[in-house]
Amino acid sequence: MAVLTATGDRSGSRDASRARRRATRVPPVVLAFVLVPLLAEAFWVFWPALQGFYLSLTSWDGVSAPRFIGLGNFQEMLHDAVFRTALLDTVLWLVLFGGLSAVLGLGAALLLQQERRGVGFYRAALFLPVVFSLVATALVWQALYQPDGVINQILGGVGLGGLRHAWLADRSTALYAVIVPALWRQIGYVMVLYVAGLKGIDPVLYEAAKVDGATRWQQFRNVTLPQLRSVNAVVLSVIVIDSLRSFDVVWSLTRGGPYHSSELLSTYMYSTAFQSLRLGYGSALAVVIFVLAFGVIASYLVRAFKEAD
Amino acid sequence: MITSDPSRRRFLAGLGALGTAGLMSGCVTSTSSSGKGSSGGAVTLQSNLSAPQAKTAMEKLVAAYGRSGKHTASLNTVAAETFRTQLPTYLTSGNPPDVYTWYPGSVADAYASKNLLLDLGDVWRHSPDLAKYSDALKKLCTSRAGKKVFVPTSYYWWGMFYRKSNFAKWGVKEPKTWDDFLGVCDTLKSKGVAPIGNGMGGNTAWIGSGWFDYLDIRINGAAYHRDLLAGRHRFDDPEVRKVFDRWKEALPYFDPDGTAIPFQDATTKLLQGKTGMMLIGTFFADSAPKDALDDIDFFRFPVIDPKVPLAEEAPTDGYFASAHTHRRAPVEDFLAYLATAEAQEIYLKNSSGTALPTHPDAADSGTALVKKGRKLVEGAADVTQFFNRDSSDALQPSADNALTKFLDEPRQLSSVLTAWQRDAEKIWGK
Repeated sequence: MAVLTATGDRSGSRDASRARRRATRVPPVVLAFVLVPLLAEAFWVFWPALQGFYLSLTSWDGVSAPRFIGLGNFQEMLHDAVFRTALLDTVLWLVLFGGLSAVLGLGAALLLQQERRGVGFYRAALFLPVVFSLVATALVWQALYQPDGVINQILGGVGLGGLRHAWLADRSTALYAVIVPALWRQIGYVMVLYVAGLKGIDPVLYEAAKVDGATRWQQFRNVTLPQLRSVNAVVLSVIVIDSLRSFDVVWSLTRGGPYHSSELLSTYMYSTAFQSLRLGYGSALAVVIFVLAFGVIASYLVRAFKEAD
Repeated sequence: MITSDPSRRRFLAGLGALGTAGLMSGCVTSTSSSGKGSSGGAVTLQSNLSAPQAKTAMEKLVAAYGRSGKHTASLNTVAAETFRTQLPTYLTSGNPPDVYTWYPGSVADAYASKNLLLDLGDVWRHSPDLAKYSDALKKLCTSRAGKKVFVPTSYYWWGMFYRKSNFAKWGVKEPKTWDDFLGVCDTLKSKGVAPIGNGMGGNTAWIGSGWFDYLDIRINGAAYHRDLLAGRHRFDDPEVRKVFDRWKEALPYFDPDGTAIPFQDATTKLLQGKTGMMLIGTFFADSAPKDALDDIDFFRFPVIDPKVPLAEEAPTDGYFASAHTHRRAPVEDFLAYLATAEAQEIYLKNSSGTALPTHPDAADSGTALVKKGRKLVEGAADVTQFFNRDSSDALQPSADNALTKFLDEPRQLSSVLTAWQRDAEKIWGK
């Protein structure tokens, strides 16, 4: 009996160790499921990205073989007035488009978070622009901005005819005229992210704050905002990425014009690469955009995770 | 259970192999490729004529070729902007489409100099139709290396377009000289009409290059103009400055909304009588209402310096073929067919009909407007193509920026021209 038990025990432990060994050995199917997507990703994402980095060190017209010129493209950027304009406009875009969409999106979310009658309608109305293609959106706004378009007609109608403007053709208004349609769309998107975040906050926290006599502002400042930290990280990433890749709306409304006054890094990259056929310089601009986006997001994420620890 | 499924395992393995093969050979910058397509089958024609009428006309043309010839062709219509940006990729790929709609002159020459275009010498030698083409066209289709690389099929012209009924109503006549022209502008302005329509807003800033081209060929001549666009002169030279000094004389008569609206809106304003006249190519008539077409007339861009021979802007359209084609014989046969009067008549009959055939025996649409246009171009001392066609598409954005800025801030002319030269040098200096 004892012997039996002992052998049973021994064989049992051997079985267990074999099973453990089997568990640490990854089955080939799982390996394939990891490696094949990795390979596809490498081919479709990493390889082109590396090529982009390589191209940024060349002078290439898309037809002849690329010529290696080291950091020449980046040196040229230092003296390129249009690049400076595009960089400044991109920063302005990041601040205005990013800042306003975050603030207004949060505001809309706070207003529309309670389940009241009709709130669904307003939420849907604010979210609706997100489902339209930006190019279609741009076409509508282009019509509004025309010299004899709705905006100018309204201005004339209310006696502000002096403010009538060729909004998209005037270099002092073009950039702002382009930000408005982009904002119109982005606010709904950010609002949905924040509504989801607000729904996730435990109501007990608000009750406790109320018991402690916190004002509405204090509740917002000390309960809502800290609780939204994880959503903020998402919103920030979304906003930074969306700002830096904002292209379609600018391209369809002004093409970065008139004479570069609404030029963003993204539109400058496109026109340099595919209109002027200077693909090397265009790639260098793309690298700058990548570094900017990656830098902003990485630094924020690192900080956010540090605080979380 | 999953692992025992052989087809899936084979699929995954195949996918992996595909990825690796792609990794090893997939280099976007490689200019040669080994892919050998089949040499049989229909000639593939890549077309950028995506407007409804033009597209239908192309379909009819390709169908007619299929019925008449030994070979067949298949049409692939691509949006114009996509076509333009993808053309270098098409031409450098190992298994490219065979024939392309595009432009002769310096644009084709840029590709020919990189050995990307099929030498069409045999087509030109053996085609009885091409032998009849004008010397100007023959020169236009020859690359700088002396090879024939292009088959032209149609052209259109630029002119000062206006409505006959409106000119009669305002009591003005077609001006011949620059001073007459400014006089007409004065009269129109006093009647509350914006004399000169313009459509450089939206995405059609290039329309303004027509003004630059014409002023330059009237003041400095066509030869200087071509040299300037090829980078043999500078945009901040005194000759170019003279062009803009003349332009400044006409600036007060330009529609102030001209830099805010695309040319389609600008021509609508012209047809509505809100603007008096407009320098534009005949393509605008494609979207004009039929009843307005009979009322449209044009006059030659006014003469500024009588000593300068009168050149006209008449962009030519046609076809070239890829040097990497695997169907050389059918491609040559197809191009020879496109050069025939019959093929050009099929196209013109089915498209909007304001273009002119390059074949001297081919019938045009026969309207008074088209007859007048044909006479204008045939009587011209020299023919230019248009800014981007005489230089390159890459140079066009630099002109768009410079000209738009000039129209907005004519006092900044010096800095505009300096910036233009700097931008152009980046393009030329590649």
